Amino acid sequence: MKEFFQSPKIKIFLSVLLVLIMLSVFTRNVENNIISATFNTLTYGMSKVTAAASSDSSNKSYDELQKENEELKTANRDLRSRLVDYYEVKEENTRLWMFYDLKKKHEDYALIPATVLRRDTNDEFGSFTIDKGTDSAITVGDPVMGENGLIGWISEADVYTAKVVTILSPQTSIGAIDKATGDTGIITGSAKYADDNLTMLSKLTSENKIEKGDIITSSGSSGIYPKGMVLGEVTEIGYDTYDTSRYAVVKPYDDISTIVNVAVISDFEGQGEILKKESGD
Amino acid sequence: MAERSNSFFRYLAYVIELILTFILCTTPGLLPEIFGAKPALVVCVALTVAVFEREIPAMIIGLLAGILTDLGYTDSIGIFTISLTIICFVVGYAVNNLIVAKFFNYLLYAFVAVGLLFMIYFLVIFVIPGTENMWDYFVAHIISRMVQTFLFSIPFYFINHFIYSTLSPEAG
Repeated sequence: MKEFFQSPKIKIFLSVLLVLIMLSVFTRNVENNIISATFNTLTYGMSKVTAAASSDSSNKSYDELQKENEELKTANRDLRSRLVDYYEVKEENTRLWMFYDLKKKHEDYALIPATVLRRDTNDEFGSFTIDKGTDSAITVGDPVMGENGLIGWISEADVYTAKVVTILSPQTSIGAIDKATGDTGIITGSAKYADDNLTMLSKLTSENKIEKGDIITSSGSSGIYPKGMVLGEVTEIGYDTYDTSRYAVVKPYDDISTIVNVAVISDFEGQGEILKKESGD
Repeated sequence: MAERSNSFFRYLAYVIELILTFILCTTPGLLPEIFGAKPALVVCVALTVAVFEREIPAMIIGLLAGILTDLGYTDSIGIFTISLTIICFVVGYAVNNLIVAKFFNYLLYAFVAVGLLFMIYFLVIFVIPGTENMWDYFVAHIISRMVQTFLFSIPFYFINHFIYSTLSPEAG
């Protein structure tokens, strides 16, 4: 044994081991070291050839490949159709999330998410058609919400589509209230402001205290629109020279001319009750 | 002269064997994974050559196999190079001085050597750095790799036995 430890073999072994340990420390601590670089260069060509050969080498017959090709095409078709379904579900999900908070706040609202199908190019007040109709329990007069507030109402409803008149239109007449001051008026569109995505709060009393920046909401006085729905923010206060009344220019929080996703409130607590009372009286 | 020539061709055969097994192990799609792992064929070659050769040639083959294994997967010389160099040298010494190179002895030695090699690898790469879920990895991959390397080394024992007996100095 003593001879073994004194033999040249063990000296060679220990020297090799020492060199290996030093090389190990060197290669571990030096990035892109010469040893690994040389090794990679030497094996690059070989790896490239073998990898290419392995990817090309197929023992399958023509019939087997054709069958596999058909199967892959079928699978591809299936996946494509699933992808379309996935996008539709995702889109629907996005729409629902948009109105989730509103629904949480007002549990009595029956919300029907819808997408804008087309816009009426002949109407300067931004009216549009949505992809839901009477089939989804939508009726004429139902309020239509954007992501940030009330944007219009249903003027016509077919089985699968419905037309929305926006709050930029003079056809609109919504009882509204200034949240800060309690002043009331009527939201109605104006040709003067519609192009700039603005509407008007008219019929204000001369003693009103409305100021720029005030938030205007629906008053719920008619029973057509739910109370407290945000309509927009006051940007300007004016004076009507014809009937000497005052008005405020209101900017809706949604850009009505580009809106895509909306929700129709088909039912809410107190809907139509005031009208019924009035007609009963 | 014939002895020298035999030795040259024998070592050349070992080197070709190492390169071929390296290609087999590293080319994507050539060797299927069984239970989450592939056998380390380069290690099989080194362990079987060590049974037939003397200490220094065994050590050199172990060193080459280790370098191929280490640099093939990482950019540094490490565990496999050092471990295989030591194991092959010790086996080369043991076979020439302490035990007889018989198949049954080889099985025992290969079992211990493969186990030791992969346990050192697991210790250094997973246990010492404190890798999370290391035992899951051990069960899912290392055990399978150890068993496969051990089993695949058996045919290599016979291949290298054939090479050695055909191209040994005595045969010349």
